[in-house]
Amino acid sequence: MKNRYAMVIDLEKCVGCHTCEITCKLENKVPVSVWRMWVKEGVKGKYPNVNRVFLPVMCNHCENPTCVTVCPVKASIKRDDGIVIVDPHRCIGCRYCMAACPYGMRYINPLAEIAQKCDFCLHRVQKGLQPACVLSCPNGALIFGDLNDKNSEIYKFVTKRRVTALKEETGNKPHVFYTSMDSSFADKKGMPE
Amino acid sequence: MDVTLTYNVPMQETFGVWIAVYFYLTGLSAGSFILSTLRYVFGFEQFKPLGKPGVVLAVILLVLAPMALLLHSGQPMRAWHLFIFINPTSPLSWGSFLLTIYPIVCIIYGYFMFKDDKKWSKTMGIIGIPCAISVHGYTGFVLAVAKARAAWSTPIMPLLFLVSAIISGIAMMMLVNVIHGYFFTKDRKINTELLFTLGKMQIWIIVFDLFLVFCDMITHYTGHREGMEAVLHEVTGTFGFLFLVVEVFIGKIIPLFVFSVPKWRKTWVYVLMAIIIMAGIFVMRYNVVVGGEHIPIV
Repeated sequence: MKNRYAMVIDLEKCVGCHTCEITCKLENKVPVSVWRMWVKEGVKGKYPNVNRVFLPVMCNHCENPTCVTVCPVKASIKRDDGIVIVDPHRCIGCRYCMAACPYGMRYINPLAEIAQKCDFCLHRVQKGLQPACVLSCPNGALIFGDLNDKNSEIYKFVTKRRVTALKEETGNKPHVFYTSMDSSFADKKGMPE
Repeated sequence: MDVTLTYNVPMQETFGVWIAVYFYLTGLSAGSFILSTLRYVFGFEQFKPLGKPGVVLAVILLVLAPMALLLHSGQPMRAWHLFIFINPTSPLSWGSFLLTIYPIVCIIYGYFMFKDDKKWSKTMGIIGIPCAISVHGYTGFVLAVAKARAAWSTPIMPLLFLVSAIISGIAMMMLVNVIHGYFFTKDRKINTELLFTLGKMQIWIIVFDLFLVFCDMITHYTGHREGMEAVLHEVTGTFGFLFLVVEVFIGKIIPLFVFSVPKWRKTWVYVLMAIIIMAGIFVMRYNVVVGGEHIPIV
């Protein structure tokens, strides 16, 4: 049976340390000023009823990815195992995928001038390793695995716990799931004032 | 809920000003082609002077338009990929073929027109009209299919683009008519009758365009949250001045008013209005492309 790779982010365990963000940059040699994944941070409420909220965001590896639909040269491909990748030799840098992605998770590499994004650390997954962000998380908040494997940790997690995903109304069927996600924070967009 | 954002990552620009320039040029090209067919396909003799300049401009503008795309693209040397690796679901992939076929049809149509071959110029004009509509209409689909941005993903985007293309095309033809009359005729006489006819056409097309913009705004504002944010951003945000004052008021309402008053039928007034309209349509392209992506989605 085919694999269907996916990610679960347990926000109850996330402390907003940005380790995943830094590890990702190191592992994938992401240039300055662009990110493959990052942790959105916010403050909820007013003192004394106040809390910090965190939301790690990355490519959602959608089942119906808009980027793959719109790519004029088929450089964006959805692999059989569910991972959406960009062919670096085929991409013409037209930025249409960036314009179309409802999650805004793609960037133009300022050095290579092609579109890039999170690929669940495909070079590691192919060797049977975990993605760098999952491995580096000090609290084990990130779970990566195969949803089609009924004995995998991720399958047990998504069946037992209540999980949601970002912008499910797009019909893209995102495959990065969150627990205890605060939608009022997830809807906060733009740069901090 | 009382939530403030304290850390996020800045968005990169996706479609920038070059794409707005590209949309503007294809719009002008399609508009001037359609106007040149008014005589050679539909047989309105009063539009005869627009035929030849129309088709020449259509070709020149359509040769310039893909240059803007090459400037925008990160890897312009890989442009040939567009013709080898075809994705039928991507409007950009349709565009690479439309942008090849349309200028060829234009050139053949122009060739028969300059040879005064009425039968063949009519045939090529009939083939050219759907090409001209698609070469600009597809740019509307480019934005409409990119579903990330509520300001773009509206079904009337292709129609809105076509109507504004015809507005800018007519305005350019008004200028061409004046320049042609003033510099390239022996008696230096401007064909004012044609100029004022174009003004009358412009009235109805501007009214239709304003209606479309109104439909778009109202349905977005009363629709889902992102549409509402997009409208508020367009009207009250960074692009509010450009949209309300420059695009709608100066670029559409003032010319509409001026063209409706018979007393103001003077050549210099119409030339001024044509320049204003052309600038207004460029601002419209800029507002749609750059303003639409200015709303943060992360």
